Amino acid sequence: MSAQTRNNSLGRRALQKLMRQKLTVTCFVVIIIYLTIALLGALDLLPDFQARVGESYEAPSLSIAKIFGTDIFGRSVLFKLLAGTKTAISIGFLVTSIAVPIGITLGSLAGYYGGKIDGFVVWLFSVIVSVPYLLMVIAISYVLGKGMLSMCIAMGSIGWVGLCRLIRAEFLKHKEREYVLAARLLGANDHNLIFKQILPNVIHLAIITASLQVLGAIKSEVILTYLGVGVQDGSSWGSMISDATGELVNGHWWPLAGVVITMFFIIYALNVVGDALRDALDPKLVD
Amino acid sequence: MLKLQRILLLSSLTALLALGLSCKPTPKTDDSVSGETSAAMNKMVFNYLRGTAHKSLDPMKQFDSASADLVANIYDRLFEYHYLKRPYQLSPVLLAEMPTLAEDGLTYNFTLKKGVRFIDDPCFKDGKGRELVSDDIIYSIKRFADANVNMLSYMLVEGSIVGLDEFHAETKKLGKETDYSKLDVPGIKKIDDQKFSITLTRKNPLALLPFAATQLSIVAKEAVEKYMEDFERHPVGTGPFYIKDYSRRGVMVLAKNPNYHGVYPTEGDPGDAEKGLLADAGKQIPFIDEIHLPLIEEPQPAMLKFQKGQIDWIGLDKDNFNKMAYKDEQGFHLNETFSKKFDMYAEMGLVMEYLVFNMKDPLLGKNKALRQAIAYALDTKGYIEKMRNGRGEALTSITPIPIAGSQAQTKTEYYSYNKEMALKKLEEAGYPNGQGLPEIVIEYRSANSATRQDFEFLRNQLATVGITLKPGFQTFSAFLTKIESGNFQMATAGWAADYPDAENFYQLLYGPNASPGPNHSGWANTDYDKLYMDSKYMPNGPERFAIFEKMHKILQDEVPVIITWNPIYFGLYQKWVGNMKRNMMQDAPFKYLKIDTAGKDKGV
Amino acid sequence: MLGYIIRRLLYMIPILLGVAFLVFTLFTTVGEDPVRIALGNHASPEAIADLRAKWGLDQPLHLQFLDFLKQIITFDYGRSFNTGEKLSELFAQGALVSLSLTLPPFLIAVMLNVSMALIVAYYRGSIIDRFATAFFIMAMSISYLVYIIAFQYILAFQFDLFPINGYEHGLRAIPYLVLPGIIIIFVSMGPDVRMYRTVFLDEIKADYVRTARSKGAAEPRVLFKHILKNAMIPILTYTVVAIPFLVLGAFLMERFFSIPGIGDLMINAINTGDFPVLKGLTMYIAIGYSIFNLITDILYAYVDPRVKLT
Repeated sequence: MSAQTRNNSLGRRALQKLMRQKLTVTCFVVIIIYLTIALLGALDLLPDFQARVGESYEAPSLSIAKIFGTDIFGRSVLFKLLAGTKTAISIGFLVTSIAVPIGITLGSLAGYYGGKIDGFVVWLFSVIVSVPYLLMVIAISYVLGKGMLSMCIAMGSIGWVGLCRLIRAEFLKHKEREYVLAARLLGANDHNLIFKQILPNVIHLAIITASLQVLGAIKSEVILTYLGVGVQDGSSWGSMISDATGELVNGHWWPLAGVVITMFFIIYALNVVGDALRDALDPKLVD
Repeated sequence: MLKLQRILLLSSLTALLALGLSCKPTPKTDDSVSGETSAAMNKMVFNYLRGTAHKSLDPMKQFDSASADLVANIYDRLFEYHYLKRPYQLSPVLLAEMPTLAEDGLTYNFTLKKGVRFIDDPCFKDGKGRELVSDDIIYSIKRFADANVNMLSYMLVEGSIVGLDEFHAETKKLGKETDYSKLDVPGIKKIDDQKFSITLTRKNPLALLPFAATQLSIVAKEAVEKYMEDFERHPVGTGPFYIKDYSRRGVMVLAKNPNYHGVYPTEGDPGDAEKGLLADAGKQIPFIDEIHLPLIEEPQPAMLKFQKGQIDWIGLDKDNFNKMAYKDEQGFHLNETFSKKFDMYAEMGLVMEYLVFNMKDPLLGKNKALRQAIAYALDTKGYIEKMRNGRGEALTSITPIPIAGSQAQTKTEYYSYNKEMALKKLEEAGYPNGQGLPEIVIEYRSANSATRQDFEFLRNQLATVGITLKPGFQTFSAFLTKIESGNFQMATAGWAADYPDAENFYQLLYGPNASPGPNHSGWANTDYDKLYMDSKYMPNGPERFAIFEKMHKILQDEVPVIITWNPIYFGLYQKWVGNMKRNMMQDAPFKYLKIDTAGKDKGV
Repeated sequence: MLGYIIRRLLYMIPILLGVAFLVFTLFTTVGEDPVRIALGNHASPEAIADLRAKWGLDQPLHLQFLDFLKQIITFDYGRSFNTGEKLSELFAQGALVSLSLTLPPFLIAVMLNVSMALIVAYYRGSIIDRFATAFFIMAMSISYLVYIIAFQYILAFQFDLFPINGYEHGLRAIPYLVLPGIIIIFVSMGPDVRMYRTVFLDEIKADYVRTARSKGAAEPRVLFKHILKNAMIPILTYTVVAIPFLVLGAFLMERFFSIPGIGDLMINAINTGDFPVLKGLTMYIAIGYSIFNLITDILYAYVDPRVKLT
């Protein structure tokens, strides 16, 4: 059986396995919904969160705009949450799409080849990791100017380190295992060994890390916005949380509750789907 | 190997158990706190907080309020603003009486109070604090004017004392070490150990005010020379307190100077006696034995500690105001539950908030009608009500309301929200309904949630007439660089009085004060400048106020800045704190405060 | 072994050079301008030039960098621009405070989370596992900031279980450190238990476990003997990676609980462009981090005889 067909059947079987679980499907749908909201936001099709829909701090009621109440300016908390969803998904997506490819590439190259390449990669991440995370993110966002994009680049250009180390460690372990040695004996080249043999066996780590990374990015955004480095137009969960700290003492719990609920569903869904993917993709589990 | 796992397993289970145990029985940390207070039962301890850490305790090197609050309690100045009397007026601290002005109207004669001593310190002979003499005053003024020492506040006295500007220039030329004894200032003369005189360059009713600034505190030469670079962490003053425990980022502890020369004021405003503010008249101060000043940077823990009685006095921010207080026709009140526990004051600040236009901006600088349109589009009253819980007054002149010559005395009118006028002016400006008007960028000096919300309010306001506003949330240094190099369109600004005189506010638009001076708009108007110079050295009165009105008319028509509002400051204090009267020129008047220790223990 | 340690210590040199270069580039070329901040509003251009010269910021960049390297070698980073305090003193005071805040909860958290992950892995697929998963994810989806605010308000203020904030030196610090410690442990639980659980599940599926099981080994024995041992490497790796993030957490803790550590010092230094503090702190942390890494690698060899220190 060639590696190609093996992966295909693995993918198909994984998909079948995924679809068998009700919870996973539900969570998958949740993610799709969030992605759709983000997409609508990107296309400017979401309701304008800046528009006033009522008095300031109206408690939640049964109209759509006021389902989570209103904020200090009488804006709909729901609409802000939708705008925040777009921001959060963009952040998660951007950070992950910067960090994961770098992490996988450098980690597998370093782990597989060793020697000078390994030396360089280890040096690079040792340097980055030796500088406190927050210092790096703030510094990089100074270089690029404040705002969401530079914050994402900053988080992404640091966030690959953890994954890189994991992948590298796994490669170090796997390259001595029988199946790799066997493949090598059968004449597989480096490219084949890295991408067709070892990587499929460790890629689940990337998936887990990616789902954690989205999570981490969304949560870091809260802290960075609190520090004044992050999203600046009020349309992020981070800015809503930092506003909520003062609102809470006045009994205005709904903006915070809205954010927590919104964050919970996406994070739960990401985790469950991430787990399910891991289980489904893990070659060891294929009976 | 097996052994290792057993150890690991065992230790993790122990940790689990330990955590379970440590969680359930509640650690009684209150005991430690109350144990401490009972040990210090007969001690009067005042608990306050520092919101930011100070930069320097060298009086001449500091210009931030965190430092000034400490310096004011460790050192003394020649004057301070009378604790009880309003409007704000000078009263002597280190002087036996107010100085006398010679007939020429230029020379002030000062007499020092007798028996004022520096705190005991190893820098003095035998470690005993010596008596204050005229030489100390002259030394301190010179040190204040030394360009190598004071890089921040010389402008307070610039141009007002004979020969001091020359001294300032000379120190700059000489570089680091200047021997003050070899460099005389003709305008400052020692008469004897108790007497000295200061000669002014011209008649100037404002000339004495800078001597109430903390930067002109009196220091001892011995201490400066002994501690050198460490002087800013090792202050030696004549003040009411000394530093018992120096901890910049922890709990700073000040202790009472038992030999302090000051007494509690014997006179006050009408009504002060009824409020009990004169009960201690003429008694030796300070009353408090120790001041504990933890650094608490976040508002939430500070307020929680106050509510627990672990802090005696606290400013009230917007969110807590909503929760704890309300406003009605009679003014501001605490909610019932809180008024039983705490007392509150509401005091008009000596602060003017405004927005600056860059007059060199090709769009805004040349289009007066556009600036007027923006001024009409702003709903300052609405802003105060909505964003500041009504804790302020809309200003109709540049001077804060408590200062003589403000809108309380003059008849000034100003822009208020008027959509039709805004639209009319916008049309006049060439942008009917905002059509064709490019986005305008307004600069902020930080990016916290308060500034972000302020911006959102402003953006919504201007959007009602079709003006699009974009924020530029800058870091502080980037903000300064942008503003002072004239690379901006609009900016937010505020000015707190250096001294309580209207001149301090009208100078903000004096042409020669352009950046890096405080006139960031770069606006210059010959009529205004002439009127300003006319009014500058004039005593307060109808004649001066009439000039203010004329200057205001020009500002109103030209709109180089939009004057917005005057904040009111709120504070809460525990019922056991006595002698509290908020003085906006003395932010940390600990020497006058007292604690009813018996009442505090009973939890009054 | 000794040769290995010496080689690793020498290896710190290129890393520290890299860190120095990175920090220097980021903060001298961008970031807050300390001179503008120190002089505030209305500083004259000459005053700015004077202070710049006094602080040596008017020197060409390569000379400033050489100067920085000299500071690294001599361990003397000079005095803070802001306060004139010696950096070595600031660090000596702050580092222990920060460690007393973060280290105990970190150690407890690692042990606690590994134990919980083992339990969850043991009951994998059962209702306990699902319930735990839901719980940990819920714990994860709430922001750190919300935890601090809520725990401080509810536990310290309303129920009076802990002091609201504060710090004292020595053993008297303990009552002040309990609540922040609990928050640190609580926050670490979600991500850590999930990560460790993944690691354990991976091992459970490995061939040797099947072999062990097929030989009739009891499940708990398999779990503890074989799996824990093999899972140590990823756990150690993950633990080391988590350490730099402690500073991020510690910073917020230090602000809310008035603990005079270095996290808050660093944020203030960033905001005021206090180069001596930034440079010094980063180098101290980088050195500490490298040493910690070395210790971890030695532990690797101890835990897993397959790893040879060469």
